[in-house]
Amino acid sequence: MRTIYLCCVLLLTCTFLQAQNFKFGKVSEEEVLEKSHPKDPEANAAILFREHNTYYELNRMTGFVLVTKIHERVKIYNKDGFDYATKEVTYYKNGNDREKMSGAKGVTYNIVSGELVEEKLNKDGIFDEEVSDYQLKTKLTMPAVKEGSVIEYEYSIRSPFLTSIDIVPLQSMIPINKLEAQVTIPEFFNFKKHMNLKSGLYFPIEESRKSDVFWVDGSSNVNFTQNKYAISAVDIPALKEEAYIDYLQNYAAFLKWELQYTKFPNSVIENYSQTWEGVAKSIYDDGGYSKEFGRSSYYKNDVDALLSGVIDPLEKAALIYNLVREKVKWNEYLGFLTEDGCRSAYKDGEGNVGEINLMLTSMLKYAGLNASPVLVSTQSNGIPVFPTRSGFNYVISGIEMADQIVLLDATDKTTAMGELPRRARNWQGRIIRENGSSAWIDLMPHYTSDRNSTLNVMLGEDLILKGKVLNKFTGLDAKDYRDNFAGINLDQHLEQLELNKGNIAISNLETLNEDFPGKEIEEKYEFELQDGLESINGKMYLKPLLFLALEENPFKADERQYPVIFDYPLSRNNTVNIMVPEGYQVESIPESIISDFNNGAGTFKFIASQNGQFLRVQAILEVKTIAYSNKEYKALKDFYALMVEKQTEPIVFSKM
Amino acid sequence: MLIFSILPLLKQFFLLIMYKYFFFLFVVFTTTLSAQDIHYQSLLIKPELTADANAVVRNEEIEIEIEAVDKLTIRTRRVITVLNEHGENHIEAYDFYDDNSKIKNQEAIIYDKLGNEIKKFKKKHFEDRSAVGSGTLISDDRVKYMEYTAREYPYTVVYESEVQKNSTVFVQAWKPIAGYYLSVERSSYILKNPAGIPLRYEEKNLSGIEVEKSTSDFELSYSVQNLPAYNYERLSPSINNFSPHVLVALNEFSLVGVQGQATSWSEFGKWQYDHLLKGRTTLSPETIAKISTLTSDAEDNIEKARRIYQYVQDNTRYISVQLGIGGWQPMDAVEVDQVRYGDCKALTNYTKALLESQQIQSYYTVVYGGEDKTDIDKDFPSMQGNHVILNIPSEGEDIWLECTSQTTPFNYLGDFTDNRNVLIIKPEGGEIARTKIYQVHENLQETFSTITLDEKGAFNASLKRRSKGVAYGEIYHINRQTEKDQTLYYKRNWGHFKNMNLEEMAFTNDRDDQEFTEDLKFSGDRFTSKAGNRLLLPLNFLIPETYNLPRNEKRKLPLEISRGRTFEDTFEYLLPAGFEPESIPEYTFLETDFGTFELSVVIKAKEGAKTIQVKRKYVINEGLWPAESYGDFRNFMYTINSLSNQKAVIVATQ
Repeated sequence: MRTIYLCCVLLLTCTFLQAQNFKFGKVSEEEVLEKSHPKDPEANAAILFREHNTYYELNRMTGFVLVTKIHERVKIYNKDGFDYATKEVTYYKNGNDREKMSGAKGVTYNIVSGELVEEKLNKDGIFDEEVSDYQLKTKLTMPAVKEGSVIEYEYSIRSPFLTSIDIVPLQSMIPINKLEAQVTIPEFFNFKKHMNLKSGLYFPIEESRKSDVFWVDGSSNVNFTQNKYAISAVDIPALKEEAYIDYLQNYAAFLKWELQYTKFPNSVIENYSQTWEGVAKSIYDDGGYSKEFGRSSYYKNDVDALLSGVIDPLEKAALIYNLVREKVKWNEYLGFLTEDGCRSAYKDGEGNVGEINLMLTSMLKYAGLNASPVLVSTQSNGIPVFPTRSGFNYVISGIEMADQIVLLDATDKTTAMGELPRRARNWQGRIIRENGSSAWIDLMPHYTSDRNSTLNVMLGEDLILKGKVLNKFTGLDAKDYRDNFAGINLDQHLEQLELNKGNIAISNLETLNEDFPGKEIEEKYEFELQDGLESINGKMYLKPLLFLALEENPFKADERQYPVIFDYPLSRNNTVNIMVPEGYQVESIPESIISDFNNGAGTFKFIASQNGQFLRVQAILEVKTIAYSNKEYKALKDFYALMVEKQTEPIVFSKM
Repeated sequence: MLIFSILPLLKQFFLLIMYKYFFFLFVVFTTTLSAQDIHYQSLLIKPELTADANAVVRNEEIEIEIEAVDKLTIRTRRVITVLNEHGENHIEAYDFYDDNSKIKNQEAIIYDKLGNEIKKFKKKHFEDRSAVGSGTLISDDRVKYMEYTAREYPYTVVYESEVQKNSTVFVQAWKPIAGYYLSVERSSYILKNPAGIPLRYEEKNLSGIEVEKSTSDFELSYSVQNLPAYNYERLSPSINNFSPHVLVALNEFSLVGVQGQATSWSEFGKWQYDHLLKGRTTLSPETIAKISTLTSDAEDNIEKARRIYQYVQDNTRYISVQLGIGGWQPMDAVEVDQVRYGDCKALTNYTKALLESQQIQSYYTVVYGGEDKTDIDKDFPSMQGNHVILNIPSEGEDIWLECTSQTTPFNYLGDFTDNRNVLIIKPEGGEIARTKIYQVHENLQETFSTITLDEKGAFNASLKRRSKGVAYGEIYHINRQTEKDQTLYYKRNWGHFKNMNLEEMAFTNDRDDQEFTEDLKFSGDRFTSKAGNRLLLPLNFLIPETYNLPRNEKRKLPLEISRGRTFEDTFEYLLPAGFEPESIPEYTFLETDFGTFELSVVIKAKEGAKTIQVKRKYVINEGLWPAESYGDFRNFMYTINSLSNQKAVIVATQ
């Protein structure tokens, strides 16, 4: 039934669309009069038509130029859509090579007293900005925009960077009614293309060829083939924001291009990256990996001294890991290549990701460990699937041992061996070995990070709760703790601890191992809580988990489009020991339960027991699987709802 | 979305925004780097200066030379020790420039904690990028900054620069303590005025600290030593209200080539009018005709103004373009009329022009926009403010228009421009006036809710909430969000409802009365909790908006509540069939300096069933209290929380 319905919709749409004229300037009154988007009535604006045309222009004097021509017609439905009336275009320069914008023009269409009126974009509505040494921006500010306006603009970006074709966006934050995208590439350039697999949308690509000829001068010419890739689509839904998303653009539909090789007439094939072996080779040779790994003179003395007498390979690795972290600070620049080289990073004490982790790898190799670089893409950079160089923007180090691989990232000061900071934990990375072989390496953590809390509490007659807390953190929970409390003084630490715990005073705070990444952190303190106990009609009510309880379900939305991904597998073990005050007895305690989610992917246990004047309440949450599809969302939400309910159920005491 | 959009940027771009967004300069310094005049060893800093500090200004020397009415040079030499990563943002090894100013010299040296030189930055090593803030479309502001990654702390930066400016209407002020967690070992400021251009200066918050100074017509000189760091404390006044500083202004000055003379607000306003505003309100005959038709049947000028304001809101959008004199002068009304966009200056001037076409007088008004109320200093005429609004003189209270918003009601300022001194610019001169104060009883949020309970703990509720005054400005935007976002808004804000399900949402935005009404129907689970055969019924159906304040026995700064609020809530609970109230809390009324809290719970019968009616009135006053009051205020907040947290017990009769 649903299929039939969809077909009908598509057919109808096609008929309607054909009636529309998408030539520049042919905006109709109907378009300006439309009050809301027919398929997405809440849309503030919509792209009625978008044409994206990329091709290589060949000039006898200057050679090739890569041209991308954009034509967009946008409907502004209401005031919240005004943002779309300013088009911001970012392009690049590098030294003397710079991209240029040309042919920018624009028109705004309104209905004024029943007439369709045009207002042209003037030069003074076009602003150029040199953002930095690498980035340029042009902003087109459309005139006379009001609710209902249709705006239309076009421009071309002419680029000297022939080997990098920009991503072709296929989705936007507003609906796209009709999209025509085409990329035409002469046979001299061979690109691989891929769609974003995380997007649920699928676009067929129509491929065709045609022959072309280039006249070198009046008498000689070159015949060649133009490969054309075209996408034509209608009714592309808007990309919608959602809570707990790693990076929204990772879920957008787009088409990405990766150069494989160039083959010009009378020249040999120049290979870029067609296979993983090719990728590895090009990175080792052109990317400077071979050179970096062959160079040890700058650290030799330091490393020799550090490792003298040490035999255990993991101990060696740990010493080197700490040496790099002490010597070189990350300057917050990404990249899997070096900028100034490892030697100068070592000397200056600062470096980018490439410098730090290649230096680390080089030292590990020097010390006889089987270490190799692992290429990584950070979350905002997407996830590479096919052999690629440009899909990566980060590198870490992996030590391959008999039955395991130990991953190291020396840009982070608080991780232990085998732990990665969040930016590097993006699905999978590619290890590329010196011998040219390579393999996918899982970057997601499989070890469990624990937070165990034990709380001993005494109930006072005056309704004040006094007690002691012992918290233990391991794994990434310990790392998070170190990151949160780094560089703050005791007063600030206490203030942060007291935050959101009610009317509490915390004292005698002690921490252990805070400065030793990899070791379990212990945090101890005493507290006095004023509003933790309620007295009603001579009975006392206590929510046993006090401030350890999860009071609210973090999952608010009723349904979900994208998967839910937890940061890492976790275990939360909260134990509360309560001493019942003299003269009181326990009237009721919450029922113990065990709840299981997705066959053990998540479990929650709540156990309350009484032994004379002592009560013990234990709440244990374990999340073993970190990724849940949108279909599992509802069950996950219910699982959390039950947990919240149990954690906030009171124990009732009455006077004897 | 307003105006200058200062708020979202504050964190990263504070100085940058202030800079051109209108007025206000920023500075920097002195001679060449020499390594001897101070010990750069970080280890020698006095403990009283490292307490609560993330960075220490070891020695800052600012020298400003007024070379002519249209030329001044600022030489900065700033030695700063960074104690930890949070101190990095105090280094300030950067300078801004634009088409009317240039950085003539810039260099920096980094020293490690022992005072060894570890890195040197020459002029060409400074990064250069545009300084267009995210709320701005375009400006000619650029910044050159040092990019350095510290390997270890502490370390010391010696920064020197020389900047030359054509605009002398801003003279960089002396502000030794630029922010929290920053202490000062020594800071000095010398203003040289060899030509003897008449100038004025104003000292602020210098009492109580030891300042060395000498002032003459030709030179001002200030220096201070050993100022400890301020700790940021919640609900304290803005740092400018208590940190020492000296403001300077010339009586003869130049702004991007436009010269002027002023010693009073009247003269200053007159200069702005004559040179920046006059003659920019002409409109085409077609537009005038259109506006005349639009307002022809309006009964009075207020109604005309209301229609014109609506016209502006429906036909323009906010776009900030700050180029050259355009940073201070509005775009011509004719031009705005054509392109239909502009910044605060342009849109205000345009609205003024439309009003003028109907013989309605209005005035361009300069203000400091922002939730923190900042006054135009009435005692110190100079280029001030960062935003512009429109004033319409009116009998009784004046009318104020925020012309950059497409949705704000007529004559609504909200917390962005309320209750502060502003500069009204009239053709005959400038005048200081005060914008509207939203009194405690005007900032009212009133809730009526009827809640039907069942014996399992679930509920069905209908709720009507009316928001006025400042509260109006905080909620009315929800009207224009998607249904999904509206739903999420309630689920997040009222997270204490379990399994909340919003069944109906209706909103009424009464723009004339500036009152917003939410009408909601929703249900949820497990609102009451079971205790044997009794149910505990929480009486705070909505949780009162109190401040969650840290303990602070060492509070140093005064306590400031910048706007009063009134909350009046009525919750009527319909008990499940077969249940009777067993106990309800007693009536309470708390009265403090900070406000009042009143809670009354009564049992009623309605259509044969028992109901429990909760009435809660919570008032928090605007005011400034000494630091010692902080503990009492915090207690007041916690007392309100625990009183609101009380429960009724209901019991099954069968």
